[in-house]
Amino acid sequence: MAGGKAASALSPAVQKLAALPILVTVATKRGDGSVQLNPVWFELKDGFIWLNSNTSRTWPKNLQRDRDVTMLLVDPKVPDRYAQIRGRLVSLIPDPKHEAIDHLAERYTGKKFRELEPGEHRVTLKIQPVAVTGQMI
Amino acid sequence: MAVELSPKMQAFTEEVFPAIIGTNRKDGSVEMVPVWFEQKDGSFWINGGTNRGWFKHLQRDARITLLLIDPKEMFRWAQVEGRMVNWAEDAGGDHINHLSHRYLNKDYQGPRTGRIKIQIEPLRVTGAVDGRR
Repeated sequence: MAGGKAASALSPAVQKLAALPILVTVATKRGDGSVQLNPVWFELKDGFIWLNSNTSRTWPKNLQRDRDVTMLLVDPKVPDRYAQIRGRLVSLIPDPKHEAIDHLAERYTGKKFRELEPGEHRVTLKIQPVAVTGQMI
Repeated sequence: MAVELSPKMQAFTEEVFPAIIGTNRKDGSVEMVPVWFEQKDGSFWINGGTNRGWFKHLQRDARITLLLIDPKEMFRWAQVEGRMVNWAEDAGGDHINHLSHRYLNKDYQGPRTGRIKIQIEPLRVTGAVDGRR
């Protein structure tokens, strides 16, 4: 992938931003090549970015078709400071007991996730960061 | 065909926070960047230097997606799928100065030359603000 720093180690500034309970904006590609943007809960852990979704949502479907993903973190206090992280979906992990989404919900709300809706299935998406660009590198 | 923004959505676009834009690079990957914007008469307007990557992408592929999200309330967000329908030189930097007043309540401090303003027509709006995913 051209451009950007290798993300084997995200910079301390990016790690610090990722530790805040802010949303990451996830860009995926629709089948027609247009860009889909969604604000998503995430966690940076063990060098990977972990997302979780209801399997019926469009963005995880897009991501299974085209595993390349771009994510944007913006400093809530200084919008000019941001990190654009390009990554790749490396695995899709079913979350049948909704432990992963409960864990993420705790990070953002201090509480477990809501009761799942009938027929709702959750899945964890493990993203390998590939390159970082933006005003924080 | 352009869609009309709902009254809720119009009110949301008047709030002051940057939009995140996504454009298509030649290699098929997405570039994302936060930008100042305004909504006027149903169109979205952004401003930039002609050397910006996203402007080059838009000249090749006019499709652009904007994400608007309330920085204080993360469940208030909207996604606007649109396309660039027009762009023009921002002569004298009047438009960037106008945006600077919207965001910072003061004159634009950066260079006012070599800038362009871009008109984006919304084609589809989704997200929690309009109660649709």
